[in-house]
This record gives sequence, structure tokens and C-alpha cells, in this order.
Amino acid sequence: MHVHELNPKKTLWVLILFLIVIIIGFITMKKPLLNYQLSLQQTTKILNDTSNNYFYPYQLVNVLDHENKNVVLIDLRNKYAYGLGHIPGAKSISSFSLTQKENINLLKKYKKNGITVVLYADNQLDADGPWLFFRQIGFCNIKILLGGYDYYKAHKNNLAQTKEDNSYLKGFPRFDYAKVARSKTGTFSASQKTRKPVIFHRRKKVTVAAGGC
Amino acid sequence: MNRNYYILTAIMFFLALGTLFIHERKVPPEISPGELLWDVLQPTRFVSTDEVAKRLIEKDPSLLLVDVRPASEYNKFTLPNAVNVPIDSLLTPAGQSYFGNPGMKVVLFSNDAILANQAWVLLKRMDFKNNYVMKGGLNEWMKTIIQPKMPPQTAPETAFERYDFRKAAHLYFTGAGIAKAGKSASKMKVVFKKRKKAVVAAGGC
Amino acid sequence: MGPLFPNNLISGEWNLLIALFIGMAFGFLLEASGFSSARNIAGAFYGYNFVVVRVFFTAVIVSMVGLLYLGYFGWLNLSQIFILPTYLPSMITGAVIMGVGMIIGGFCPGTSLTAVVIGKIDALFFAIGLYLGILLFAEGYPFLEKFYHAGYLGHITLTELTGIKAGWWAFGFTVIALAAFWVTAIIEKKVRKRIKEYKF
Repeated sequence: MHVHELNPKKTLWVLILFLIVIIIGFITMKKPLLNYQLSLQQTTKILNDTSNNYFYPYQLVNVLDHENKNVVLIDLRNKYAYGLGHIPGAKSISSFSLTQKENINLLKKYKKNGITVVLYADNQLDADGPWLFFRQIGFCNIKILLGGYDYYKAHKNNLAQTKEDNSYLKGFPRFDYAKVARSKTGTFSASQKTRKPVIFHRRKKVTVAAGGC
Repeated sequence: MNRNYYILTAIMFFLALGTLFIHERKVPPEISPGELLWDVLQPTRFVSTDEVAKRLIEKDPSLLLVDVRPASEYNKFTLPNAVNVPIDSLLTPAGQSYFGNPGMKVVLFSNDAILANQAWVLLKRMDFKNNYVMKGGLNEWMKTIIQPKMPPQTAPETAFERYDFRKAAHLYFTGAGIAKAGKSASKMKVVFKKRKKAVVAAGGC
Repeated sequence: MGPLFPNNLISGEWNLLIALFIGMAFGFLLEASGFSSARNIAGAFYGYNFVVVRVFFTAVIVSMVGLLYLGYFGWLNLSQIFILPTYLPSMITGAVIMGVGMIIGGFCPGTSLTAVVIGKIDALFFAIGLYLGILLFAEGYPFLEKFYHAGYLGHITLTELTGIKAGWWAFGFTVIALAAFWVTAIIEKKVRKRIKEYKF
């Protein structure tokens, strides 16, 4: 008589092997320093939140007078540019050293103490990427200085008056595009015509002959 | 009953119990935050308005312009052959179908580069490659291509060459004088690939 | 890291070679666990031998739980794994045909081939029938095509369909499987008592 049964002893050894592999996995798993705290959906939502995202140049006045102690400025430009000139009191953390452990821990400390961190670079665009990155990994206390260092440099002495100025604001059309780009002969050329977006049809995935056992 | 069976059952039960506490990987896949920051810091994603104009005039078939402004602004004015993917539709399958297609270079633009740049960061997080941002956006486009300014007399020769090009591009895009020129803008044929979910390695049981 | 081939960690040649070794291991294990005996397989339906059920459930729960852990460790990208496309009506029909075939013939397609290799005559006839069936299906495909492609749900998983975390499915199936191990052992004992001549 030949009865096929699972051999419990052998099975146990194999299962223990399996267990060891899983334990090795847990041990060798690197815990990443950073994790996304905002999902992509949440990230698209915060983009329009101007009051939480932006730090206006005229708000710098309070900071420079040491009235507002809850704000830390961080200069994202390289050390050389920082050495040539920076906003007084700004810390220099060049963008390439942002993910170093001590810098992250510093930012975490600021977040814990409720201190607003304002990032700036030469212009808003240069600081925009790092800013959006930090918002995604959960630093909701990080703002971006509108206009950047260039605007600050040009208006160093009359920062308080820049409240009326809007030349540093981005994202608005500065021209009436359709009017400016209209053909001089009066006829519209193809470039002005609004085109319907190309509609893509999703291709069905290739069906694969499936194997049985 | 064999004692080993009890141990087997217990081990397997607790292993399965453990799966309840491990979180799953994100779908769609995202690149790690460290990689994202590294890519965000590279300036290679920016292209100038001159470059975009040149490609448009050459009717480069591998170029896809994507307007990330809201639909209302898109309907008023956009660049030739541009498609509209507002930032909140970036996450929909219809919006994503424009990105990551083989052989295509996608140039994102908005009023300034800010919104386009943010769209780029989101796309990068979703691991879409070959996307670019038009530096300065439409404001810069108007300034440089539609209303080019003569460089000062002391400017280097390359500045004048650029000015000549912009003047010609201005004629091309506004149709002034040669009104028909823009009309022949060929419809773009886009090779399109659905984002692959599974690299097929058909399995048996 | 993985899967190895789609992420270009191994070349196409290695891919085939590894597939060959896995295939050999699969065939060996089928034979080693007694799947090349028609009585063992049919026994699951008559209630005197559930080794088939146990082996398959063991394979399912170990790989299921293992995959979830591997995905968690970052060793395997679960979104790149091939998922069979679901065609509900044709799959149910196919499952019924296969189940009936297993009771009558005592083999499933793979095990019949391992049984042919060890020289079972019944398996030889089963394998001939298998290929006749394949021929029949291939010739009749134009008539069946519509039904074959009906109810396409895509490469869908239970998690996507229900929104319940994969961990819960894994846990649920494991509990069911573990319960099945013990229940089948009891059934086996009872049924075997009634069979006087128990020969394999």
C-alpha cells in the first residue's frame, strides 16, 4: 500500500525556511527617510491654496524687524550665491543638500515648534520644485517666497510698499493672448484656432493564451 | 494527529495574520521621494520658447504640447496643436494617456512656468518620462515670439540671430503677411501606448 | 527589484532556462505528491483522499502570503505581475467542464502528462483525449468565439473589484484553507473506515 500524504516533518522544514526568508526581508528592509504624506489627489488640491502656499515680499518686513519670530528663511541657492548676498537672517541649505538627515531633522523640528519655513531661490520657479516636494512629504509649514531673491534685491528698501505691486505674481496672463497673437491681416491663422483635444482610444490589452495545469 | 500539523497550522495562520498589517505598494507606481527630489533639482526639464517655436515650425511629429491651464483659458487661446490637460485631470486615465508614450516629447506650458512645473512634478512622481516644461510659459511666448524686441546695438551677434528667428517665427504664428502659412499645420499623429500595468509573462497554474 | 524579466534583470535566454527548471520542479513535485495517480485525484471527490486539495491549498496560501510580503519588502513589484484577464461566463463554464473531466478521468491536464511519463496507460488515453479536445476547440473556435470573449472584465483583481485590502483576502483564504485541512482529515478518516479494500 502506497499512500501519498504530505510529509508533515518535511513541510515544516520548508515552512521554517519560508519564515526565515520573511524574517530576512524584515531585517534588510530599509526604512526610507522620507515618505509621501499627501496622495496625488491631495497634492493637486493644495496647489490653489494661496494663503498657505505663498509668502509675500511685504511680509518680510516683519521678519526682518525681528517682530515675527515664527518664520525661518531658507536660502536654496548654492553657497557661492549665498555668500554674494542673501536676505538677512536666512539659513543656507542648498537644494542638493536638502535630503541630508540633519536638514530633514531640522525641518522636522521647525514643524514641531510651529515655525513657518520660507523657501527662496533666485526666483519663484527655482524654489517651486523643492517646495512642492516638501509639501508632498508632509511639511505643511513650508511656504515659498514669491518673487524670490531677485525681487527682494530690487525692492530691498521699499519692501513695505510692494503690497501694491503685483509684478512678482505668477500664473496670470500678462497679455490678452488672443488679441496680441491675432493676425495683422485680420484673418485667423491656425495657431489661434482652438482645437479640440485629440481623443485617444485606449487599446485593449493583448489577450494572452492562458495556461492551465 | 501529528503534532507537526498543529505547528504548521499555527505558523501559517500567523503569517497570514501579518499580511493584514503590511501596507501595500501604491498603484499607480510612484517613485521614491528621494528620487523625486533629485529629478526636481535638475534643470534639464526646461525648454525655451525659441526651441518650442522652432519645433512647431518644423512640424516635429514627436512634439506634443500640453496646456495645463483650466479649460476656460485654453478655449480662449492656446498654442498650435496643443491639448488641454488641466492639472486636476492629470490623475484621470484620459489625461494620463497623453504622457509616457514612446518616442513622444511632451512640453507642458501654462501662463508662467509655475503651474506647468507643478504638473511636471506630479507626473514625475507617477514615473512618466520625457516631459518638459516651457520656461516662462505663455507670457514669455508673447514676449519673445509674438512681440520680439530688437536687442540693443551692443548685444552679441547671437542675440541678433535669435531676434531674426523670432521675427520670422512671429510671422509664422500670427500669419501676418503669409496668412495661409499656419493653416497647413499638419494634424499630429500620435503613437499611443496605454500605460502598462502588467508586463506579460503569462502564467500557468 | 523583481519581477526579473520585465525589469531587465535577466536576459531572454535565462528567462527560458529558468522557466525550464521551474517546469521540471513543478512536474517533479506533482509526481512526488502523488498527483500522477488517478485515484488520488478522484479521491478528493469521493472523500477518501484529499491530498490534492491539501497540496493545492498549501501552494495557494504560501504563494499568496509570500507575494504580499515580497511586495512589502520591495523585492517584487506587484503591479508588474501578470494577472489573467477575467471572462466570467466562459471561465465558469470551463471550470465546470474541467471539474467533470477530473472526476471522470482522474487527471487534470498537467498531471496526466506526468502520469504518462511514469507509464500509466489510462493517462495515455486521457492525454490523447486532451489533444482531441484541443483540436475540437480550435476547429470550433469561430462558433465559440462570441461566448469565449463574453463578459470581459479586464485584468482585474479582487482588491480592485471590491476595494477590500489584499491582506484581508489573503487572511480569509488562509483561514479557509487551514480549516479545510482539518475538516478533510476528519472526512478522510470516516470514509476510509467504510472502504474495506483500500488499495492504491
